[in-house]
Amino acid sequence: MNDAVKHQSRTQLALAAFRRNRAAMLCFWVLAVLYGLAVFADVVCPYSYQDEDRDFSYCPPTAIEFMDHGHWVRPFVYKRTLTFDADHRRDYVIDRHTKYPLRFFHAGRLFTVDRPGRLYVWGADARGRDLFSRIWYGARISLSIGLLGVAISFALGLLIGGIAGYYGGWVDAVLMRLCEMFMMIPGFYLMLALRAAVPENFNYVEVYISVVVILALIGWASLARIIRGMALSLRERDYVLAAKTFGVPDLVIIVKHILPQTISYSMATLMLTVSSYILAEAGLSVVGLGIQDPIPSWGNLLSDAMSIVPVIFAPWILLPGLFIFIAVMCFNVIGDALRDAFDPMVEGSSIEN
Amino acid sequence: MSNFDPLLSLEELTVKAGKKTLVDRVSFNVPRGGIVAVAGGSGSGKTTIGLSLLRLLPCALRIRQGRMVFEGRDLLGLSDEEMRRVRGARIGMVFQEPLSALDPLFTIGGQMDEVLAAHTALSKQERHKKILSALDEVGLPDPQRAYRSFPHQLSGGMRQRASVAQAIVTGPSLIIADEPASSLDVTLQAKIMELFIRLKRKNIAILLIAHDLAMIARLADEIVVLCKGQAVEQGPVSKVMADPLHEYTKALLEAAV
Repeated sequence: MNDAVKHQSRTQLALAAFRRNRAAMLCFWVLAVLYGLAVFADVVCPYSYQDEDRDFSYCPPTAIEFMDHGHWVRPFVYKRTLTFDADHRRDYVIDRHTKYPLRFFHAGRLFTVDRPGRLYVWGADARGRDLFSRIWYGARISLSIGLLGVAISFALGLLIGGIAGYYGGWVDAVLMRLCEMFMMIPGFYLMLALRAAVPENFNYVEVYISVVVILALIGWASLARIIRGMALSLRERDYVLAAKTFGVPDLVIIVKHILPQTISYSMATLMLTVSSYILAEAGLSVVGLGIQDPIPSWGNLLSDAMSIVPVIFAPWILLPGLFIFIAVMCFNVIGDALRDAFDPMVEGSSIEN
Repeated sequence: MSNFDPLLSLEELTVKAGKKTLVDRVSFNVPRGGIVAVAGGSGSGKTTIGLSLLRLLPCALRIRQGRMVFEGRDLLGLSDEEMRRVRGARIGMVFQEPLSALDPLFTIGGQMDEVLAAHTALSKQERHKKILSALDEVGLPDPQRAYRSFPHQLSGGMRQRASVAQAIVTGPSLIIADEPASSLDVTLQAKIMELFIRLKRKNIAILLIAHDLAMIARLADEIVVLCKGQAVEQGPVSKVMADPLHEYTKALLEAAV
């Protein structure tokens, strides 16, 4: 063991171990891209989330053409017109004589086409809105709601669990009964009930905040119970007694000497909880209780796919589900990797001789 | 309060766990700048006395009787918050095993800073200076380096010095040292004893909880011999050691030779 290695703090060691985990790093970069696209949705997307054109209902993905009569030209799209076939099904006919060139860095957007042309990279929804744009605008809601909810329920869970475990006795008893009150109701139904208690005339910001709070209220209890169990054993450590003999205030002892020891567990749980909150938000929105149309979220985008007919004729409306899947997967893999990285008992996570 | 009053005066301290008596009417005084040793085998209640003084007994143990007058105030009459301000600020503690008494996740400097921050309104720089001078005072060769070190990076002797530094950084008048040298080898024990003598010269009183009579003979002025929670013999060290009256003291002395 050389001196350079010896001087690393635990966080540095854990980060180094995390970086060595290829799958986790891949997931990290995938999430970084998803969050990046969400943040820059205004630029990246060709249309705003409510830019609709009913003439293009369920228009299939538009192919971007690069070749015209065998020559490389500036990328363009062909005109499409809506017709109906013999069975009265929508059929978009490509008109190879009318072309709309792609305009880059136009009107504050990375790429778009001039009207009356429409560019549907990943197809359109029932009202002719661009699914590509709506997915990245929706990512803003779906990806942030999990993080915010987790921030609140972790602050609550860690603090309440830490306090209950550290003090024990009646404090512990009262706080744990409170946790059990939240845990005994099945999560999804508690969520529905809480959501029902929210006034229906809320605007979308208020709905967003109430969904965050609802998610946070559901998640903190199980975390608090486990942190409490860990705190019960950690408070017997000599250095906790030592801190007490030095008159360090209880809250400082809980925050600095007890909670950091739970990091390998809480890091993993944090990531798993983010993903379960993303799913919970999607669940609320799918049944129409989350963020309301026209504001998109991955959940309410998927609610279009609740009936079978659109899914058969416009399978691209399932795409938001794919992104939910990717985001949830990535958070889970990262959570797993972080737990290993912070756990000195796991092979390869700590100092390599 | 006159200067002749003892710094700490324990009167008839009784600690019970349920019906079982762990400390039975123990009384002794610790003068300012004096070293008083509490000796006894394991289970004799000596650590219980140390923790009673700080009111940090495990919840099953209760102080049933007695007074603990420290700097003119009965510690048993203080509120929890007043008691917290005594701990660390007026009474420091040194533990047997410094490696487990120091949080492995924090540097020595960080842990000492926490104690100072809990008791003083000093700025970050002032605290830093104070910590370095405390680390220097306990004889750590490179205080700057010790400040930045994690507990596992220091040797056993240096760790124990660091934990003594943590106990004196706020300038307390009493240090409770619970078997401070038992985890160290003989040469390091001698160094820690020298350190305690230096602290004594600075008018810091020490309540030495130990079973090692050789160490007590070198350091302490007075001795209280505990057996099954009772103070079976107490008085000046030289007198008790030269002429033990109680069987248990004799047995302890024989075991030490």
